[in-house]
Amino acid sequence: MNKSFAHNRWADTLLGFVGFFILFSVWELVSYTGLISPDIFPAPSIAINFTLSTMPMMEISGHVWASLTRVFWGFAIGASLGVVVGVASGWYNWLGVLTRPLIELTRPIPPLAWIPMAIIWFGLGEPSKIFVISLGAFFPVVTSAYKGMTSVDPVLLRAAQTMGLKGWRILIHVALPASLPDLATGIRVGWGLSFGMLVAAELVAASEGMGFMIMHARELGQVEIIIFGIVLIGVVNLITDYAIGVVIRRHIGKWHAY
Amino acid sequence: MSQRLALSATTKSRIIGVFFIVFLLLAWEAAVEFKLLKVYKFPPPSMLWEALTELFTSGFPKHQTVDIHIAWTLWRILQGYLLGCFLAIPLGVVIGSVPILDKLTAPIITFGRSIAALSLLPLVIFWFGTGEAPKIAIIAYGAFWAMIAHTIAAVKFVDPLLIRAARTLEASHRTIFLHVIIPAALPRIFTGARVALGVAFMVIVGAEMIGTIQGLGALINEARNFYRADITLIGMVLIGLLGLGISGILQVLERVLLPWNQGLEGVRR
Repeated sequence: MNKSFAHNRWADTLLGFVGFFILFSVWELVSYTGLISPDIFPAPSIAINFTLSTMPMMEISGHVWASLTRVFWGFAIGASLGVVVGVASGWYNWLGVLTRPLIELTRPIPPLAWIPMAIIWFGLGEPSKIFVISLGAFFPVVTSAYKGMTSVDPVLLRAAQTMGLKGWRILIHVALPASLPDLATGIRVGWGLSFGMLVAAELVAASEGMGFMIMHARELGQVEIIIFGIVLIGVVNLITDYAIGVVIRRHIGKWHAY
Repeated sequence: MSQRLALSATTKSRIIGVFFIVFLLLAWEAAVEFKLLKVYKFPPPSMLWEALTELFTSGFPKHQTVDIHIAWTLWRILQGYLLGCFLAIPLGVVIGSVPILDKLTAPIITFGRSIAALSLLPLVIFWFGTGEAPKIAIIAYGAFWAMIAHTIAAVKFVDPLLIRAARTLEASHRTIFLHVIIPAALPRIFTGARVALGVAFMVIVGAEMIGTIQGLGALINEARNFYRADITLIGMVLIGLLGLGISGILQVLERVLLPWNQGLEGVRR
C-alpha cells in the first residue's frame, strides 16, 4: 500500500474526529450559555448524566437487547424468505412468472403502512412487530436475489454444464456464488430498512426496546433520555451496519473486488 | 423471427402473471366465503369496493373523505421536503466544494443518516406538541440527510477533466462554478432529490399515525382502531399508488429539466 495514501487516511479520520468534537462543543456551549434552554435541548453531558443517574445500566441494556433480538428475528425471517423466493424465482422460470408481478405490485407500499394491518392480523404483541420488520428486509433481499440469479453470466453456467455438473449442483456451486454480490447489497439495504421499521413498530406499540424507551420518556417529559435514546439508536444502527459490512467484505469480497 | 418469439414470451408471462393474481383474488374471496379466513381480518375484494365508495362519499372517519387525506399527506410532504432540500442543497454545495469542510463533516453526515428520522418523533412532539410542526420537522430531517449526502457527492465527483478544460479556456472561478460544476453536479443532485422524496414518503406514513386524523397514515391507523381492515387495505393501496405517481412525476421532470443528463448517464458510475 502506498505510504502517503495510508497517511492521508489517518489524517481524514483525525479530521472527522475534530469535526465531531467541534459539533459537540458547540452543542455543549449553546446549552451552557443558555442560548437554548437546557430544558428544551440539553447538552450531551447533561443528557448522559441524567440518563445514567435515573436509569440503571441494566434497564438501558435491557432495552437495547430487546430491540436487537426483535430486529434480528424480523430480519432473519424476512431475509431468508427473500433469499428463498428470490433465488427460486430466478432459477425456475415459471415461478418467476408467478411471483414477480405479485412482488412488483406490493413493493411500492412502504413497510410502515403495513403496521395497522399487522396489528389487525397478529394483535399488538411481538408477532406483528416481527412481521413488519421482516417486510423491511424481504423486499430489498428478494429483488436483489432475483436480479443476482437472472444476471449470472451464462458462460459460467455453460462451462459448469460442459464439465458435467447438473441441476442442483450448478445452482449451489456456480449460480449462487455468482449472485452473492447482488445479494449482499440487498442484505445491507434490508438491514437498514429493518432497523427503521423496528423503531417505528416500537413507537406505535411496545413495552420494551429503544423505541419504547424514548416514547416513554416523552410521556414523562424527560427530554434528556429522549436525546440519549435517539443517539443510542443511531449508534447501534451504525455499529450493526458496520459489522454486516465487514462480514460481507470478508466472505463475499473473496471473489469480487469492490 | 426469434425476436418476435421472445417478445411473445414476455407478453405470455405477463398474461400468466395477471391470471395468477386474479386467481389469488378469487381464492381469497372463496376462502372468506367458506369461512377459512375471517372477514374482519381479511376483507374480500368484493367488500373493498363498498369501502372505496364509502371513502369517497361519506369519508372515514366521518366527513374525512379520501381527497382530504391525500391532500393533507401531500401538503405535509411538500412542506417538509422543500424545507429539507432548501437547507441541504446550499450547504451540500459549500461542503462539497471545500475539501477540508468535507473531511470535517463526513462522519457527522454518516451518523446523521443512520439516525432513523422516526426516532426523532418523541423529541419533536416534546418540542412542538402534536400539531403540524413535528410532522414537517421529521420529514425535513429525513429529506435533509439524503439530500445533503447526494449533493456533496455530486459536487465532489465532478469530472476533473471538465474543470481543467474550463481552466485552460481561462474561465474565472465564478464561471467554472456556475457553468461547469453546477450543471455537471445537477444529475446527481436530482438523484438525491428522488431518494429524499422516497424517505419523506416513508416517514410521513409513520408520522401521521400519531396525533392526527387527517392524512393517509392517519386513515389506515384510525381504520385499524375501529377494526376496519377493508379501509386499511384501501389506504395501503392508495399510499402505494401515490408513491408510484410521485416518483413517476420526478422522473419526467428530470428528463425535461436536465436534458444533458442522458449523455452523462453512461459516464458516471
